[in-house]
Amino acid sequence: MQRIDSVADVNSQAFRRNDFHNRQLAAELKERQRAARFDRPERDFERLRRQQKLFVRERLAALLDPETPFLELSTLAANKAYDGEVPTAAQVVGIGIVAGREVIVHADDASVKSGAWYPLSVKKIVRALDIAIENRLPVIHLCDCAGGFLPLQAEFFADRYHAGRILRNQSILSKMGVPQVAIVMGHCTAAGAYVPALSEYNIMVEGTGAIFLGGPPVVKAATGEQVSAEDLGGALMHTNVSGTSDYVASSEMHAIAIARDIVARLHQPAKTWIDREAPEPPAYSASELYGIIPTDTRAQFDMREIIARLVDGSRFHEYQPRYGTSLLCGFARLHGYQVGILANNGVLFGDSSLKGAHFIQLCDKNRTPLLFLQNVTGFMVGREYERRGITKDGAKLIMAVSGASVPKFTIVCNSSHGAGTYAMSGRAFDPRFVFSWPNSQISAMGAEQAAGVLTHVKARQLARAGGRLSEQQLAAIREPILEEYHERSSAYYATSEIWDDGILDPADTRTALAIALSASLNTPIDAPQYGVFRL
Amino acid sequence: MHTLPFDTVLIANRGEIAARIIKTLRNLGLRSAIAYHEVDALTPAVSMADLAIPISGRTPVASYLDFAQIIAAARKAGAGALHPGYGLLSENAEFAKAVIEAGITFIGPAPEAIELMGDKIRARNFVQRNGFPVVPCAIEEDEPTTFVSRAQAVGFPLLVKPSAGGGGKGMRIVRDLSALEAAIEQARSEACRYFGDGRLYVERYLEIPRHIEVQVLGDAFGNLVHLFERECSVQRRFQKIIEETPSPALSPELRKRICEAAVGIARAAQYQNAGTVEFILSEGAFYFLEMNTRLQVEHPVTEMITGVDLIAEQVYAAAGRELSLSQSDIVPNGHAIELRLYAEAPERGYVPTTGKVLLLEFPDGVRIDSGVMQGQHITPAFDPMLAKIIVHAPSRIEAALKAHRAVRELVLLGCETNANLLARILADETFLGGQFHTGYLEENPHLAADNFATGLCAFLASAALLTRPVRASADAVPELHATLGSWRN
Amino acid sequence: MYHSFELDRVDHRLWLSTSQQGYRLHLRDQVIDPVAFTHHSESSGILTIAGESEPVRFAIEGDLIHLHIRGRTRVLRYNDPLRTFAPANDEIRPLTARAPMPGVVVAITVSPGQSVSAGMALMMVESMKLETIIRSPRDGIVDRIHVEQGDSFEHDAVLVTLSKEGR
Repeated sequence: MQRIDSVADVNSQAFRRNDFHNRQLAAELKERQRAARFDRPERDFERLRRQQKLFVRERLAALLDPETPFLELSTLAANKAYDGEVPTAAQVVGIGIVAGREVIVHADDASVKSGAWYPLSVKKIVRALDIAIENRLPVIHLCDCAGGFLPLQAEFFADRYHAGRILRNQSILSKMGVPQVAIVMGHCTAAGAYVPALSEYNIMVEGTGAIFLGGPPVVKAATGEQVSAEDLGGALMHTNVSGTSDYVASSEMHAIAIARDIVARLHQPAKTWIDREAPEPPAYSASELYGIIPTDTRAQFDMREIIARLVDGSRFHEYQPRYGTSLLCGFARLHGYQVGILANNGVLFGDSSLKGAHFIQLCDKNRTPLLFLQNVTGFMVGREYERRGITKDGAKLIMAVSGASVPKFTIVCNSSHGAGTYAMSGRAFDPRFVFSWPNSQISAMGAEQAAGVLTHVKARQLARAGGRLSEQQLAAIREPILEEYHERSSAYYATSEIWDDGILDPADTRTALAIALSASLNTPIDAPQYGVFRL
Repeated sequence: MHTLPFDTVLIANRGEIAARIIKTLRNLGLRSAIAYHEVDALTPAVSMADLAIPISGRTPVASYLDFAQIIAAARKAGAGALHPGYGLLSENAEFAKAVIEAGITFIGPAPEAIELMGDKIRARNFVQRNGFPVVPCAIEEDEPTTFVSRAQAVGFPLLVKPSAGGGGKGMRIVRDLSALEAAIEQARSEACRYFGDGRLYVERYLEIPRHIEVQVLGDAFGNLVHLFERECSVQRRFQKIIEETPSPALSPELRKRICEAAVGIARAAQYQNAGTVEFILSEGAFYFLEMNTRLQVEHPVTEMITGVDLIAEQVYAAAGRELSLSQSDIVPNGHAIELRLYAEAPERGYVPTTGKVLLLEFPDGVRIDSGVMQGQHITPAFDPMLAKIIVHAPSRIEAALKAHRAVRELVLLGCETNANLLARILADETFLGGQFHTGYLEENPHLAADNFATGLCAFLASAALLTRPVRASADAVPELHATLGSWRN
Repeated sequence: MYHSFELDRVDHRLWLSTSQQGYRLHLRDQVIDPVAFTHHSESSGILTIAGESEPVRFAIEGDLIHLHIRGRTRVLRYNDPLRTFAPANDEIRPLTARAPMPGVVVAITVSPGQSVSAGMALMMVESMKLETIIRSPRDGIVDRIHVEQGDSFEHDAVLVTLSKEGR
């Protein structure tokens, strides 16, 4: 495999300008993540101490194997929602190592609204369990939730992907033979009561852990019965009498030690075999990515420069290097795992779509996972292109992306718009993981373009009512539209809504992908099978 | 060589000394029999003896102190002689008499000599009467009205001590006359408070005292020789830890005087068999302390430099033979050091330790007198001494180096020992310089403290690698994740 | 959750991870890479640490690891997390001894006020033609005996109530 020869001039003014800009974005990201994870009013920490509870981050540190990585997902979920008052959506989700096993952790964060479930909390948990199902990852639930946030129940209760889906997914995991271990470290009420109950193993912390369908106030209201939480659903009752819980622990640390011992006993199915060699670091430093990514999402750049800073030895076997050149296709290795990369070098044309569809099938036959590096404004439009069948060629690419059996991974590197988002394995196409870079923009149309269209529509409505609009009036209409559009297509908005699995510092991408790849191989890869390609 | 009047010797002892005696008996072509309590069943002496006879008692120690059972065991074994070792019944004149009355040869001095020297005050007076130096003292009750003037006559500095005392309580050091009366009054009031007995005596306070003892050997024909001195000043709580010969504190002239004094004292007591005269050496002067009418724990250092088997000499003397050695035959050669390995934790105030000896490896090239073997349980029933390491080298510094190497090579796992302390002493400049005294360990508490930071990483690494769950948790982590380490996004 | 060893009453947390040449040892303030242990016999081996080889004598006695390295002897205790974090007292054990199945009391071996330890026999019962010993679930003092010799009882009946010591 040939090494990519980078042509980036690290001393150029453009490189240095990009570098400065993107390092700032990365620093801002890290700071926002830190704040979401750790910044809480002192009274919330005070309350945890009073309740003899550990902060969720301490629980996590004790649960995970030391000196192993933890890929935290959707850290900034809900960062643009609920006035920013529910950092991380009150949930910690991530892939880590417990007793040597790859697991996904779902932990309620009781320092945020006592761990109450908001609509985005539910979405984050459902997504965590979807990841568990897709990648057959055992789940560790650290349960400490006050219940659903009732004022917003209409947004998380009744629909298909609402709270019921958590319990459904748990049941499906169990049916698949993917075990779950729950530690009850606080109250598990109502639907939350079923989380430990539906887990293969559960542990209750004596004194603080409780499981009941209705808490003491609900019982009092319903039947007049007066009962303490401990008596109603405490650890001793559930482990000695009801059998709802398996183990009683004297402290959270004890519970975590028991959970680790349980996980150490879980059967570890062999991973799916894919081509792998000894890993090799890229020939170019990942930190140079900051100088490659442009300050303006509309500026074009060569994706080979990105690939050179992600893959082993910067080696890239390019497929059809001279055909459909706006979509770069080729093989590379990531931490030794062979992957097939599809990366945008411009707008999608008919030939690039055909090339992509063909390459996906090659990878699928070859059991080579797919990595999509998105920087796409969409498919080419225009009379000539329609006549040549751009829509039918795009359909082939979408058919191939949808039908591929190998695991897919998507990075929103820069812009992601229109049908390009779909054809490049957007969220709706079930890539195992989607990550965004902090500079990225995702929306149906580019912001400028969309603002133009919207301003035009508005101007026409006004024109019909009489009168022409001055440039000033047009600008007054255009500016707020543009601003809102920018806001709602930003990476922070996307991650707030859990359209992705988190924003990554570009320099972290290689490691995050390696962890994701490894996780994905817990699931067997089916034989390739596709729908009908419109030829 | 004349045959001895007995062919079997009963050993009324245990541990390393019993094993040591058996070795000599074997060399002399004698059968060995041992009386043992069941807690000692798995010890070297019991497995080495030709005949082992179980005894029992309320406690293990009580069984070894039971005259009747031991004499019965000797009879049962057909033993014509009995060796009492050290400690236990070795200095019990009544026992020696009972053995002799049973028609069994007691390998040791005559009961009269044991009796004379067994009482400290009687021995002191006897020695003083015979013109040998004792620590000057004045006893108040001898003549209360003249106490202060007699005390003054003893010479300063003085130590005022309660007659009924012990443990240092009520003791006062007085350096000049002006402080004497006040010190007497204070000591008296404290003595009354602690012991309900205000009687006092004063003794010359000896600065930087060293413990020097002289090995003597006598026979029934009045022959008496010394086998030079041993220095036993490295002590903790009056328990010797390291002994050596020759003493670095003695000039040839002083050595001659102290050895001759020892022979003189033994001769005055008409001493037969092996014995040890103990002295306190302070500022160039020596004073009689006491005489031990038995073999000493530290006898091997003497054996190393003189080439004399003291136990064989004891057997011959008891059998009525004339000493084969004259004083001029005894020529010291080189330097010997003995280390006592104790089951105790110097790091925790010398508390006795217990446990099962899981692994035992003795160093090569040195003499080991051991009372332990692998698999043995160390119980708190007896004195905590496990074994002795004895080295012999041309010079003191070479002997110290050799001892240091040996104690570091000694492996005893399963029961904490003082081996780390011994190694620290042998590397200590004060010890190596020979400038120590009986208060050496008290004055240097850092020697008892272990520095656990030394080599910590190697211990933690070994423990980690030898502990299944620790290794298993490392092995379980997938290679990729082990490579990535504690990465966070 | 780190592993922990106790040496001289001080806890040392550590972790091993695999490295290319063996293992990496993570201590609180340093990482040693590589470390490896080659067994020579059941009680001896060579520790390789930071490029140096140290002969090691060892004996393992349950959670105690006795080591002799470079003339020093040390005893380290592995703190099994399940035991370390388990309650020191038996607060979480029930204060009642209950019948595991229906049966008849054959003999009662304790009396009220008597102090008992966990596992001690409280009574003998007969059930399904089998004699079973009912044992104390924890340390405590016999508070009440709810049955007499010859009484029959149902499954899960409380046979003996204990009180915590010192009440």
